Amino acid sequence: MASLRLPIATDQLELTAFERSDTEALGSYLCNRDAQRYIDGLARDKQDVEAVLRQMREQVNLRRPGDTLTLAMRKNTDKELVGHVCLRWSDATAGQGELRFVLHPRHTGRGYAHEAIAAMLDLAFDHYNIHRVFMRCDGRNHHSAKLLEQIGMRLEAHYREHALFQGEWDEELHFAILDREWRPSSKIRHFPPRVRVA
Amino acid sequence: MVLFPDYPLTTPRLRLRPFKRGDVDAVYDYRRRDVVALYLFDVALSREECALAVQQRTGQVALTEEGDKIILAAQHKESGSVIGEVSLIWRKQDARQVELGWIFHPDWQGMGYASEAAECLLNLAFEEGDMHRAMARCGTQNVTSWRLMERLGMRREAHFREHSLFKGKWDEEYIYAILRREWRQSRGDGVLASMNP
Ligand SMILES: CC(C)(COP(=O)(O)OP(=O)(O)OC[C@H]1O[C@@H](n2cnc3c(N)ncnc32)[C@H](O)[C@@H]1OP(=O)(O)O)[C@@H](O)C(=O)NCCC(=O)NCCS
Repeated sequence: MASLRLPIATDQLELTAFERSDTEALGSYLCNRDAQRYIDGLARDKQDVEAVLRQMREQVNLRRPGDTLTLAMRKNTDKELVGHVCLRWSDATAGQGELRFVLHPRHTGRGYAHEAIAAMLDLAFDHYNIHRVFMRCDGRNHHSAKLLEQIGMRLEAHYREHALFQGEWDEELHFAILDREWRPSSKIRHFPPRVRVA
Repeated sequence: MVLFPDYPLTTPRLRLRPFKRGDVDAVYDYRRRDVVALYLFDVALSREECALAVQQRTGQVALTEEGDKIILAAQHKESGSVIGEVSLIWRKQDARQVELGWIFHPDWQGMGYASEAAECLLNLAFEEGDMHRAMARCGTQNVTSWRLMERLGMRREAHFREHSLFKGKWDEEYIYAILRREWRQSRGDGVLASMNP
């Protein structure tokens, strides 16, 4: 797999690797219970956060199935950490990937998640040649569900009480998008007329 | 909760009981057919493979831990023939989740036997088994299977497209589910009662 060129720039963000100095900023949103639902690593204190950070700093490329790529979302103005996105290569033969994101509650409502997810879909389909990307979301999290729909993902599943999460019945939505569904709307793929005629 | 039912389970026209060594020919008679295997993970089975499957199934009679399966022969009361099989798999212990499955001989399809057997198994899962939710899955093209799920009162919870490969092609899959309270409600309403002659 070709190496990844970082940072990835979006309108308002830079997606980069995590740094050792991110502990405090990471901890400020990672210890939030809702943030933990679909990400790895339960973080209760500084030590937990440091362990999660250590792990994420190694997740810088997808080399084999099962690998995760984790990128920090930073504002391009002052480089403040506002959240992160993870792409897990879940299945090689069927080309499947799972995307997850966490956003600091203080930074919602500015389109950061939308930009980061769109950039990660470009990366998944164009750079890693993944066939289908899916995302999970809490059924009660209407903001996330709306966001994923706006991005163009299809609601594929709505599970009710299929599992317990921290002692309560869980409700889970699955959204998915195929490579051919993403590309037509993707701004970086305008074929010149010549190619279409050929 | 450990589920070790008292066999046989009975329905108006069927007996659901553990498999026996003598069932190999009956199982071979449906599992050898391509039309039966079309939407199953397995291809059509040889007689030897059926013998092995039956041997395994003789021990699959109880749920004692996550991952355990109950697989029962559906025996037609009147003729004594084994006409198919139904399965119950314990998917999650803490959240009390099970998965249902069914395979019937083509000569015995279209007569409500699969519904009758599946209804009995759902009842076992929710009442004696104290399960919270039962799910079933099938390829979207397996119309008889998802119609059966709908007849049982299950809701379509998922429609996956190209999420995996199935026998070398892109798979498209439905998942149906029903919660215990929905099951009880539907029974109270007598939806399924009309099916039984
Ligand atoms: C899936 C499968 C078990 C469904 O079998 P089935 O015979 O269609 O299911 P039922 O026993 O519920 O029969 C229902 C049909 O019988 C009819 N019927 C007749 N008498 C009936 C009665 N007393 N009660 C209910 N239905 C009755 C129903 O109207 C229905 O017909 P319809 O679909 O034309 O309306 C069967 O097709 C099969 O074994 N397939 C191959 C293996 C397989 O794919 N398994 C599932 C993998 S996911």
